[in-house]
Amino acid sequence: MEAFVRFKSKYWPDHLLGEILSKRWTETAIPVIVLLIVAFALSRSIDGFLSPVALADQARQAGEIGFIVLGMGLVVIVGGIDLSVGSMWALADFCALYCLDVLHLPVAAVIIVTLLFGALLGAVNGFLIGYLRLRAFITTLITLIIYRSAYDLLIQEHSNEIAAAFPDFPSWNFIGGGDVFGVPSVAIAYAIVAIFGHVFLTRLRPGWHITAIGGSRRSAYNSGIAVRRTIALCYVASGVLTATGALFFAARLGTVGGDVGVGLEVTVLTAVVLGGISLGGGKGSVAKALVGTLIVLLVTNGLTTLSVRGGYQRMTLAAILLVAAIIDIRWLKNRMRIISKVYVTPAYNYLPPPPPTEIGAGGPFEQNDKLRDVSLIGLGRIEAPEDVILDRHDNLYAGSRHGDIIRFFAPDYERMEVFAHIGGQPLGMAFDKQDNLYCCIGGMGLYRIAPDRTVAKATDETNRSWLSVNDDSRLRLADDLDIAPDGRIFFSEATVRYEMHEWPVEGHEARGNGRIVCYDPNRGTTRTVLRGLKFPNGICIASDGQSILFAETFRCSVSRYWYDGPKAGKVETVLDNLPGYPDNINLASDGNYWLAIVGMRCPALDLAWRMPGFRNRMSKRLPLDEWLFPNINTGCVVKFNEKGEILESFWDLHGANHPMITSMREHRGFLYLGGIANNRIGRYKLANADPDFVQYDKRWGRA
Amino acid sequence: MIGAIRRTVDQLLGRGEASITVPTLDGALKPNQILEHAEIVAELPHAEDLASDGATLYVADGPSLRRLAGDALTEAWRFDRPITAFCLLASGGLAVALDGKEVRVFDAIAGGDSGRSFTGPDMTAVNALAEGPDGTVLATDGSLEQPYARWAHDLMSRGATGRLLAIDTRSGAVNVRASALGYAFGVVSSNGDALVSESWRHRLVFISPQGAVRPALGELPVYPSRISRAEGGGYWLTAFTGRTQLVEFVLRENAYRRRMMAEIAPEHWIVPRLRSGQSFKEPMQGAHLKTMGVVKPWAPPRSYGLIVRLNAAAQPVYSLHSRVDGENHGVVAAVEAGDSLYAIAKGPGRLLRLPLAKIREELRL
Repeated sequence: MEAFVRFKSKYWPDHLLGEILSKRWTETAIPVIVLLIVAFALSRSIDGFLSPVALADQARQAGEIGFIVLGMGLVVIVGGIDLSVGSMWALADFCALYCLDVLHLPVAAVIIVTLLFGALLGAVNGFLIGYLRLRAFITTLITLIIYRSAYDLLIQEHSNEIAAAFPDFPSWNFIGGGDVFGVPSVAIAYAIVAIFGHVFLTRLRPGWHITAIGGSRRSAYNSGIAVRRTIALCYVASGVLTATGALFFAARLGTVGGDVGVGLEVTVLTAVVLGGISLGGGKGSVAKALVGTLIVLLVTNGLTTLSVRGGYQRMTLAAILLVAAIIDIRWLKNRMRIISKVYVTPAYNYLPPPPPTEIGAGGPFEQNDKLRDVSLIGLGRIEAPEDVILDRHDNLYAGSRHGDIIRFFAPDYERMEVFAHIGGQPLGMAFDKQDNLYCCIGGMGLYRIAPDRTVAKATDETNRSWLSVNDDSRLRLADDLDIAPDGRIFFSEATVRYEMHEWPVEGHEARGNGRIVCYDPNRGTTRTVLRGLKFPNGICIASDGQSILFAETFRCSVSRYWYDGPKAGKVETVLDNLPGYPDNINLASDGNYWLAIVGMRCPALDLAWRMPGFRNRMSKRLPLDEWLFPNINTGCVVKFNEKGEILESFWDLHGANHPMITSMREHRGFLYLGGIANNRIGRYKLANADPDFVQYDKRWGRA
Repeated sequence: MIGAIRRTVDQLLGRGEASITVPTLDGALKPNQILEHAEIVAELPHAEDLASDGATLYVADGPSLRRLAGDALTEAWRFDRPITAFCLLASGGLAVALDGKEVRVFDAIAGGDSGRSFTGPDMTAVNALAEGPDGTVLATDGSLEQPYARWAHDLMSRGATGRLLAIDTRSGAVNVRASALGYAFGVVSSNGDALVSESWRHRLVFISPQGAVRPALGELPVYPSRISRAEGGGYWLTAFTGRTQLVEFVLRENAYRRRMMAEIAPEHWIVPRLRSGQSFKEPMQGAHLKTMGVVKPWAPPRSYGLIVRLNAAAQPVYSLHSRVDGENHGVVAAVEAGDSLYAIAKGPGRLLRLPLAKIREELRL
């Protein structure tokens, strides 16, 4: 049973569901599925429904209607509605044919005049709704009636003249019935407009303005968007797009019958809603408009071919509209809830029983009370010093949760100042050869603070991996770093799925979402070098200058990775099955390494880590405060060597003086202790330590 | 069939029986720190039960019964086994439960007399005694499956074998008044009925002499334990530990619970405890994370200290707390003697004293 759980956890990518659903394009998923179902059902029941000839015919109609749907979509996205499209369509149709057949204008002029006429019709709506702020529904209902009446009056007068004419211009015929390699002219025009529309809506400033206004008109106004003008222009665009469709229609059929464009607004509105463009405004895309158009057209044409009577056809469309509206509302409302339910997907994480820590049990981890006598620096004056570091003048630096790097002055560390303000939580720190302080900032990336306190971003993105669903190029939780002899900086990123304050969720998942990234300041490049690590944390350059030691917190292990030399690319485990969760690693004066153990393992969580289903339900049913957590209230410091031997451990049995240790730094015979949930820094006098040891002086060969 | 389907669906969606809501400490149960600040009379690591004749306080401490005189505890009686419960009888006598398996009734509180012994039927975990009407002694037997000290095993195996026994000291008969209780732990006689704590169901029930069970106070956010009579009507109810959503969740997760019981030492289980924070191997929940050196008192309780003052209708009036960041946890007995309330905090092993006047003053009653 457990073997099955382990196998499933390893190979079944259930964490991808939440990541896929988090993508914006999944909003279009339901309309696309409906479209595929409709197309499949109709092609099975009607012979030749999807034959090239039928498809070309469909495409011609789809193009004409599609233009109106684009216009209507635009108006709906901006938060309005345009009911007058049917009447505008009829008037534009009349305009085109009147110009061509009665006024005998050249085709190019006909096109220009018709489009301008459409713009004028739309501008009436736009002026009334945008500038006079009338209700869109009422206004366009009124223009629907007025435009239709105008059309009826005009065709009474001119229909005979138009019907009598038989224009025969190749360019006009090309618009009506021409094709390029079998693709109808209208479809090509539509494709060009649609591609532009997509770029316009998603990549250009006015497009973003339109979405912003639809999302919240007041906020858009407050952010300085020209709300009235933008809304008015959307109606103008709707008029122009409707006129474009009408132009192709006029060229194809050349009639001005009484029923041209009657009820068109319902068809168009159905397409818009079916595509998933929300009637509430602010949500929609060109792809949705296209999908909606195709569904409506396939259904209408399919039903016509099946000789279903008009009444039933409209009823079917209305029923589909109703269902689509319901699904649209439910899906939009619940999508985020579904994501929050399925995003967290715990994995199997087996750890063997830990080595003993009890007093009297022996072994390197036997508890003691050595750290009881640490003296405290900055008690109550510093918050969340995850890492601590000392410069060669013995000044002490530590991060704070206010986004500052605080400097405590030697020799007594009573006086403090804000050394630099960065804005994010500082985590691991290291000095380079030129005394620049490099610092990992949770949520921001890797930053560099020069000795003159100027803050500069070193890097905040790495290469995007090809197979990840989430965009993993941006750094979410840069954690600890160290600097190689040639200046390259290796730093860990604990997770690519969660933000810094969500670290417990990452521990709950225990999947291996972390990585190690290399930033090369000489070339300015950032590359991911290792992936799939379980909360990689502390990093320290090993003695050979060709490898790093890195801790994986939730694998309870320390490994070594060679980035240069004959073993380049290899990873070997140095310590595993630690009794607690390893954090930062730093060099000791005797050539060994200090390792902070931030928390201790507890059997209940070790068992839960072997039961992903249990943890999955726990994360769904319990609030975060009630979850089983890794216990990071008690920790210790251990010293280890590259052979993987634990040499010594330092404990504070009661944890009252200095609870939680996330990092430690040896400096001139003292060990300085940091803790991310602490309001103090600890200082412990080491016995038998080199009283002149300064870590980065030794590293850069100054000592 | 429909019931089974519904349970499966509930299990899947976390509804109905599978929902794990725990009521909040609010209203009369609103937290304070009165119990945490109580005076410590004595450190008694094995203290178990209290009784008083109104003026003198008696404490069961391991196998010995002690009397509080002034601030000194003197041994009044020593038994061969640990006392799990005792009560004073109006006649001047005494009833004692030994190791949960035997109840002995004496006519006077003085050594020498061997008393009358009752062991049947199947006394396993007798944990509270109270004098009933007509010469009876009421006893709650927590479980038929687990001895008293292993109450956590009973909770985790979803035990429901608690019983209320009525011992007729005249005829020597022992009647089972009620059975299949979700851990009976605490009893007091109330107008002919017995008011009984049903810990695993988080409620108090009235049980009539005929055995009819009637809810008295339900949906408690804690596990209730022994009850004693208060001066001026009403009762003192103790709660030996608090409920958490995590424990409720684990109780519904059969696979995890079984493996936990089989593979992990009981002191490290996800289960309510009388004391906590002894080892980092105890499970830690999110809110237990020490931030800036402080543990939040509102964190989910692994152990908790609570005494509730009930009125005559067994409804809560006010309560005395020792919260998650405190120490006086695992309160199993509280009785009035003189002008003070005495309580045993079994977690740290303490006998606590709270002057009633001080309680009234702090709560502004």
